[in-house]
Amino acid sequence: MNFSRVLVVVHKELIDAIRDRRALYSILFGALFGPILIGFMLNRIADQQRGAQEIRIPVVGREYAPVLVKWLEQQSGVEIVPGPADPQAAVRDRVVEFVLVVPKEFPEKFRQSRPAPVQVVSDSSRQAARGKIQRLRNLLSRYSAEIGGLRLVARGVSPVIASALNIEDIEVSSAQQRAAQVFNIIPMFLIISAFAAGMQIATDSTAGERERGSLEPLLVNPIPRLALVLGKWIAAVASAAVGMTLSLAITSAVLLLVKLEDLGVRFNLTAYDALLLLAATLPAALLAPAIQMYLASFAKSFKEAQSYIGILMLLPTIPGIMANFYPLGNRPWMAPIPILGQFSLSTDVLSGKPPSPLILAVGALSAIAVGFLFVSLTTRLFSKEKIIFGR
Amino acid sequence: MIRAEGLQKRFGSIIAVENVSFTAPDGAVTGLLGPNGAGKTTSLRMVYGLMKPDAGRIEVDGKDLLAGPLDAQAHLGVLPDVSGLYPRLTPREHIRYFGRLHGLAAVELEARTQHWIDVLDMREFADRRVAGFSHGERTKVALARALVHNPQNILLDEPTNGLDVMSTRTVRDVIRRLRAEGRCVLFSSHVMQEVSALCDQIVVIAKGLVAAHGTPEELIRLTATSTLEDAFVALIGRETSVE
Repeated sequence: MNFSRVLVVVHKELIDAIRDRRALYSILFGALFGPILIGFMLNRIADQQRGAQEIRIPVVGREYAPVLVKWLEQQSGVEIVPGPADPQAAVRDRVVEFVLVVPKEFPEKFRQSRPAPVQVVSDSSRQAARGKIQRLRNLLSRYSAEIGGLRLVARGVSPVIASALNIEDIEVSSAQQRAAQVFNIIPMFLIISAFAAGMQIATDSTAGERERGSLEPLLVNPIPRLALVLGKWIAAVASAAVGMTLSLAITSAVLLLVKLEDLGVRFNLTAYDALLLLAATLPAALLAPAIQMYLASFAKSFKEAQSYIGILMLLPTIPGIMANFYPLGNRPWMAPIPILGQFSLSTDVLSGKPPSPLILAVGALSAIAVGFLFVSLTTRLFSKEKIIFGR
Repeated sequence: MIRAEGLQKRFGSIIAVENVSFTAPDGAVTGLLGPNGAGKTTSLRMVYGLMKPDAGRIEVDGKDLLAGPLDAQAHLGVLPDVSGLYPRLTPREHIRYFGRLHGLAAVELEARTQHWIDVLDMREFADRRVAGFSHGERTKVALARALVHNPQNILLDEPTNGLDVMSTRTVRDVIRRLRAEGRCVLFSSHVMQEVSALCDQIVVIAKGLVAAHGTPEELIRLTATSTLEDAFVALIGRETSVE
């Protein structure tokens, strides 16, 4: 087979696609949708996290505990504002999220070294305020422990004695968890971007060719069907690869822009990681168009083809959904399985366990083999009279 | 030269072509004439190698087409029944695409492309995308891309169907020109005037069979009629209609 004829087909399909607005839109949409959604989600989590760190405390009865309030004010991210006249009503009516109330017996009890009352007025049904209230409580406990320690020292007792337990917080904070979940959908979006970007050429060069009636004159040319299908496939693969690379580039930019350390995520996407991620997921750009072309070849029209291929778009979401029900983790045997392989390998990269070059090669070779399988199936369809003439 | 022998094709229980044989020599225009559904298109599709006959033999320039369809197709220029174009490409790009698929190299490709743009009077719209072209313009593009590789044998399936007068003239001129260059032209039609105006010899097909074969004069003599139209009606039987 003459490979230069294959390139003739690749060239034609790419020119045709570049002039096709729909092709460009599907590449762009596929590439942008995931990263934008991921960016939005990470930002939201970061906002919530930051919101919990920076609190504004409405205080009632500041004059009874000026030292405490001053101490609070000195803590980072804390702002003291005058509290409402009726704290409970204000919290109930959602004018403020919570109020710190210092009763007037505070100074006297404090002076006598007896537990001095402070009240935190809050509404536990309000989810969003929880982090802030927790922070306020922690601050108050710290103040309490500090003062208590000083009192013991004044009496010649080591404050250590008062601490029976040393509680260490090993925090797997919810923000971190949510951020990790967001990370888990990155591979899915990358793979979807390959399907979205390969779709236009895959359908236009098969079902579109049938619909327009251009397939018959094309097949009269003296080139093997395999060369034709191969050319169309390579063009679609190029488009899918561009879409995927674009998607990965934008995702990387999003991850760099969102301050991941704010989320408690210790992950830095280096250029090397991005390359690994590309190596892990790019084989999907070989697979997606091959499967799409095969399915689209059965369709008599572009629209019919798109309805088949729309269903195919759900394929990349399956590994993610399955992982919830069967938490197998990532095993090496998954690498050669189409789509699942790209999913598990890229999840490995993102969780800081880069797969070995051998496993990456296995995934890529398998994708090439499966891609070829579908190319040869499509070639067979292109030899069937029902496909060539059935319009 | 094209030679078809005992072609047969059935689709399920329907026999589209029962037994069709003919020879289309070089330097002549051979017309496949027959009513709609007679088997003209199916016969042509077998001759240009996209449909496999159930029985029979096809030779292109003396070579067996079924043994090596790609070799034979290299010497064929085909305008099929339906000749769809790519709406986002220009006529020039259509012609180049097919020329490249035939393996034409750059210099020759450009020369041939320009040649057909000139001959078919396409200069005005040669570099506009074909979306929105008229039927006549589209047929010219399809014809030019089918001829870009200078094929010895030209197969045209109802080439002037639905064309206006000017476009029909252009297509007829091209057919005459090809004959003058010594090529073998085989075209199908159900239009009497078309066939009588162009053909050196006529193969009348009806119900999947060759009803008669010869020059227009021979057909008239054979049926003892005075015009080709009467001869045609006599040959295909009165029950089938002719336009």
